[in-house]
Amino acid sequence: MLSTINAKLKVLKDYNRIAKIDRIARRYFVMNAFDGVLAIMGILIGSYIVGSHPKVVISTSIGAGIAMGVSGIWGAYLTERAERQREIRELERATLSKLSETKIGRAATAAVFIIAIIDGLAPFLSALIILLPFLLLSPFLTVKQMYIYSAAIAFSTLFLLGAFLGRISKESMIKTGLIMILAGVVSGGISIFVLGAENLRLT
Amino acid sequence: MGVVKLMVLDVLKPHEPSILDMARKLGSVKGVEGVDVTIMSVDRKVETAKITIEGTDFMYDSLLKIINDYGATVKSIDRVSTGKKVVGS
Repeated sequence: MLSTINAKLKVLKDYNRIAKIDRIARRYFVMNAFDGVLAIMGILIGSYIVGSHPKVVISTSIGAGIAMGVSGIWGAYLTERAERQREIRELERATLSKLSETKIGRAATAAVFIIAIIDGLAPFLSALIILLPFLLLSPFLTVKQMYIYSAAIAFSTLFLLGAFLGRISKESMIKTGLIMILAGVVSGGISIFVLGAENLRLT
Repeated sequence: MGVVKLMVLDVLKPHEPSILDMARKLGSVKGVEGVDVTIMSVDRKVETAKITIEGTDFMYDSLLKIINDYGATVKSIDRVSTGKKVVGS
């Protein structure tokens, strides 16, 4: 059992080296998790302004999360597949051989599936994480507290995504984390401005 | 029929997978005792490698299967030594 898992992991490592899966998957993950966080933040702000019931917040956000997830999977699958097929064809012309049944072809197929799944899961999971106060803590919190906790999780998620990018680029993780938070502040600020700040029930 | 003890292949391969992976895999073939892969030229998408394989008795088909699985093509078989001893070594 353990040796089978090890063998599969080794194959996956090989595919990763050949098709550079981790680099692209990382990029897609951050981009789409970021999209997911900002989208759910927008829903939270809009819902707070009009005083939506928590159930409405949950169903709207989960609906949006599912839509972003499906869009991510479909979009990434089709674009990655097209790109990888083009690369394989070019390589086939250079090596004068068919590559679809080789390690290179298998690595490209694996890359397409892994990247599509990551691309779809990232926004859906970030939506779920932000909604945790609404999903799990509703019996213990007031509606206002749920919004505050969700906003805190959203900003923390943005910070972590930024810090992750900082780690990749070997920059200050705090600096890149704060830049991400700034994006959340700008997005939230525009939403509040557009939706009418006077309606925001701050009390 | 004499057993194959040495073979030199001229191979055209993509940059990835690397020659390290391919050499290791070729070295695990039954009857193979030593493998040397030398890159002779590098192009934008492909590279040409000289693969030297020494052993007690190995099957060319097994080697070819691995080489092809790595997306490479054998352009030519440049040397083959069979018999009890390798001539010229």
